[in-house]
Amino acid sequence: MASVHSDPTAPRPVSAKIVVSGGFGVGKTTLVGTVSEIKPLRTEAAMTTVGIGVDDASQVETKTTTTVAMDFGKLTVEEGLVLYLFGTPGQDRFGFMWNDVADGALGAIVLVDTRRLDECYGAVDYFESRGMPFVVACNQFEGSPMHDLEEVRMALDVPANVPIFMTDARDHRQVQNSLLHLLEYVLVEMEKQEAAAAAAVPPPEPLFTKNQPVGTGVGEGVRF
Amino acid sequence: MEETATAGASQESFVRPYMITGGRTVGAAGEIPIETLVVAQRPRDGLNPDHASVVDLCSEPLSVAEIAVHIRQPLGVARVLVADLTASGHVEQYETAATEGAAIVRRLLDGIRSL
Ligand SMILES: Nc1nc2c(ncn2[C@@H]2O[C@H](COP(=O)(O)OP(=O)(O)OP(=O)(O)O)[C@@H](O)[C@H]2O)c(=O)[nH]1
Ligand SMILES: [Mg+2]
Repeated sequence: MASVHSDPTAPRPVSAKIVVSGGFGVGKTTLVGTVSEIKPLRTEAAMTTVGIGVDDASQVETKTTTTVAMDFGKLTVEEGLVLYLFGTPGQDRFGFMWNDVADGALGAIVLVDTRRLDECYGAVDYFESRGMPFVVACNQFEGSPMHDLEEVRMALDVPANVPIFMTDARDHRQVQNSLLHLLEYVLVEMEKQEAAAAAAVPPPEPLFTKNQPVGTGVGEGVRF
Repeated sequence: MEETATAGASQESFVRPYMITGGRTVGAAGEIPIETLVVAQRPRDGLNPDHASVVDLCSEPLSVAEIAVHIRQPLGVARVLVADLTASGHVEQYETAATEGAAIVRRLLDGIRSL
């Protein structure tokens, strides 16, 4: 393939990012690897943890930035359109921010092992508090009890509009479907927001308002 | 599962990042999203080896995250190098989905459905 920049008529490449999150050992790296065209790579990203004075009598909020290992994979969806999937490390601390990974992401898949539902509370809280769209994908392990998905929804206390579905992180078709579930939901949420933003556009300001003499508007202030 | 390639975790990389970035903090370039695709625009002639290796990697568009892995440095170092090279015109950064709105999500959906 010739360099993209050598063809001025080619559309500019664009990249997107989604996050794959959840508790320890739920299959995040497996899921990323299943759809990635490269073997998952590992890099060090910044994470901020927020602690409220556990060993500090003053109860002051402390912020610490640490680096954590992230796995990521890459899916070229069409020429010039690349989707990156970032797997977060399992995280159960009180407060944290996956700055590098979550900033600018379209949305997140929270991967769940139904035998250990409590391990994904941190991820669910995190995406909810950031207002980032997420879906819940229940990974089937041997010996996992077949959970009713609505029971999972209740246990995780996620809103009725958040998609919850079964998946198998090792199966290409199922992981592709998981991506589609997420992106469909992201699109619905974006369209909702765009509609709300359009409705909220304030009516144009009247040109002249009563009690305000013409000629003292912005950009024409008193000159000294 | 430990069969992934690892970068930035070695002992030597503890000292190297400071030297490569000339002590500049990561925050100086902290705004570049890690999924940003970077592509070479000009020959690497005259660049120091660290910058030159990034230009070499970007003969085809490559993300900041992948650059970090290839140069075996943390993301922050890759960001600083890419910021330098962007300022000097050696590389160009492409847009990310964060600034493209719903259109990009529709393209992703169509594309993945037809994979
Ligand atoms: N039965 C079954 N096993 C799975 C599935 N997904 C992953 N596994 C296995 O579960 C183990 C953990 O998978 P990983 O992908 O490493 O999990 P992870 O979430 O990345 O783990 P950490 O990064 O350590 O938190 C591996 O041995 C996988 O082979 C699945 O869908 N079904
Ligand atoms: Mg993993």
